[in-house]
Amino acid sequence: MPIGIPASILNLNVIFISILIEALPFVLIGVFIAGFIQIFITEEHIRRWIPKNKAAAVVMGCTVGALFPACECGIVPIIRRLISKGVPVYAAIGFMLTGPLINPIVIVSTYMAFGNDLKMAGLRMGLGFLIAIIIAFIVSIIFRSNHLKDSVQVIHHHSYVKKRSLIEQIWSMLTHSIDEFFDMAKYLIIGAFLASIVQVFMPAKAFLQIADDPVISLVIMMGFAYILSLCSEADAFIGASFSSIFPRPSILGFLIFGPMIDFKNSIMMLSVFRLKFVLGVLVLTASVVFITILLFQNII
Amino acid sequence: MAFHFQQALRALILLAFCGLIFYLHYTGDITKYINPKYIPLSKSASILFLFLFFIQITRIWSSKKEGESHGQHAGGACCHHVDDHDCSHHHDHGDTPFTVKKLFSYSIIIFPLLTGFYLPAATLDASIADKKGGLAVLGNKNNVNSNQADSTSVDENDDMEDYSIRDSLEDFEDSAEQEPPLYEEEQEVSKEEFEHLKKGLYSSSVIKMDDFVFSLYYEEISKDIERFKGRQIEFQGFVYKEEGLSSNQLVISRFLITHCVADASMIGFLSELEEAPELYENMWVKVKGVIDTATYNGTEMPLIKITGWEEIDEPFIPYLYPINVRIL
Repeated sequence: MPIGIPASILNLNVIFISILIEALPFVLIGVFIAGFIQIFITEEHIRRWIPKNKAAAVVMGCTVGALFPACECGIVPIIRRLISKGVPVYAAIGFMLTGPLINPIVIVSTYMAFGNDLKMAGLRMGLGFLIAIIIAFIVSIIFRSNHLKDSVQVIHHHSYVKKRSLIEQIWSMLTHSIDEFFDMAKYLIIGAFLASIVQVFMPAKAFLQIADDPVISLVIMMGFAYILSLCSEADAFIGASFSSIFPRPSILGFLIFGPMIDFKNSIMMLSVFRLKFVLGVLVLTASVVFITILLFQNII
Repeated sequence: MAFHFQQALRALILLAFCGLIFYLHYTGDITKYINPKYIPLSKSASILFLFLFFIQITRIWSSKKEGESHGQHAGGACCHHVDDHDCSHHHDHGDTPFTVKKLFSYSIIIFPLLTGFYLPAATLDASIADKKGGLAVLGNKNNVNSNQADSTSVDENDDMEDYSIRDSLEDFEDSAEQEPPLYEEEQEVSKEEFEHLKKGLYSSSVIKMDDFVFSLYYEEISKDIERFKGRQIEFQGFVYKEEGLSSNQLVISRFLITHCVADASMIGFLSELEEAPELYENMWVKVKGVIDTATYNGTEMPLIKITGWEEIDEPFIPYLYPINVRIL
């Protein structure tokens, strides 16, 4: 055992590695799906499937995300590939917001975490879906120009994919998955590292004293959700553990905001979008979640 | 044949990821990182990395002809070459020149491989408990049910007998010194077994909190402290102290891991004993005591009056995992 390494660094490392170990299977699934999309789905398919109408495309993106059981680590490579295949950014954002939030495991774990209370799970899904639609719709209105990084530009051309044999296609899907993994891994690693720094050095305790005010408590809980960067399937129990310190609306803010966007995930988004766009989506998501929760706080 | 340095480096990195995950499983340290429930998933990731490594190997050497077409790719004439990439995307295939920027990227990817292999797997300790909110988050477990149900799992667990209440009522000494439990078993029980476990809590003369039932019993007790007042209890945990506790008080705590240690939440009992100052933070102890109640910051919580304690080694698996109740 190396001597002289402070305990906090070892704690940091164990949290850092654990996030990676836990995320890697999902990232691998994500890059395989991305590789599949790259090789087998053509721009033409996308053009046929995505409605021309913006609102319809937004609703479709959110619905597909809700039906698609993804987690926030695996979803970034997928949207990156979808966008490069011509899926409009707003539909992809809708997909990204609902994918990790609405899926069977999240529903069940939320239900259990809140003492078999269907209300919290129901509100998390229902309000979450509504919020995702609002955000994706606003994205479709305010972000008109291209916000992709240069490396992810959409280039329209008629692909010659069909000419190749299936084995060649599968082979190139796999090599694409490898390239995708190397593109994504560094963002995942930076995100996981920063999130573990926060866990080891930020005293959550300091914030617990000022938890009574509905607005401040909501800000704190959403802030926690963002910086802790928990997996959406595990965060219900953490959220529930704050139950008696924080009022329910702020817990719901934690549960909805975290899966939509968090620290690790926004770093990963930098592999697809320019910084300005990532910040824009972050601020937008935070505001819409914040306002919606405050509006609905009486029924929560 | 041309040798591609970066492709070789990538192959090596894929192999190293496979190796790191395999190494953690092999040493058993994996339980210091993730909930054993995810062990099969993590093993498959290791195998996938190995698979990708074999695919990547084929790209290390290429014939001269392919090398040229890669050159074209870099030159922007990619739409015409007959290589296997179409060009609706421009991510890095590892063919472009090795620059400082790339050195930086690869260093980031190699970094966790180094720390994962060379730094020992630490166990979360009292300082993390403090950062996570300490005693303040303990008072409010009333509504918390930390039994995760996994709707997707339908597999039968044949060794369920091992987890019967008979086991949890076994001599406490034994359970502490036992071989590490079969951590590859999921902590999964059926609804009936779950109720059975709960009943054990109410019917046994002494409440023995072994690792399997700890979180379940902890919740049940926190939910209805009055009902358990005066009962005897035995459990183990590490010592955590914080400001505001009197000199004869400390918290004997455990971490509950849902997925990985990043989502660890602290559970534990506020305890009272005369020798409290002798017990230092992070020391593992096995204690016996009587359940009482206390109020902390306006929340009622259990308080254990310690009647006997002894120092123990940190368990091989220091963490607790939620019991999964099959609901299907």
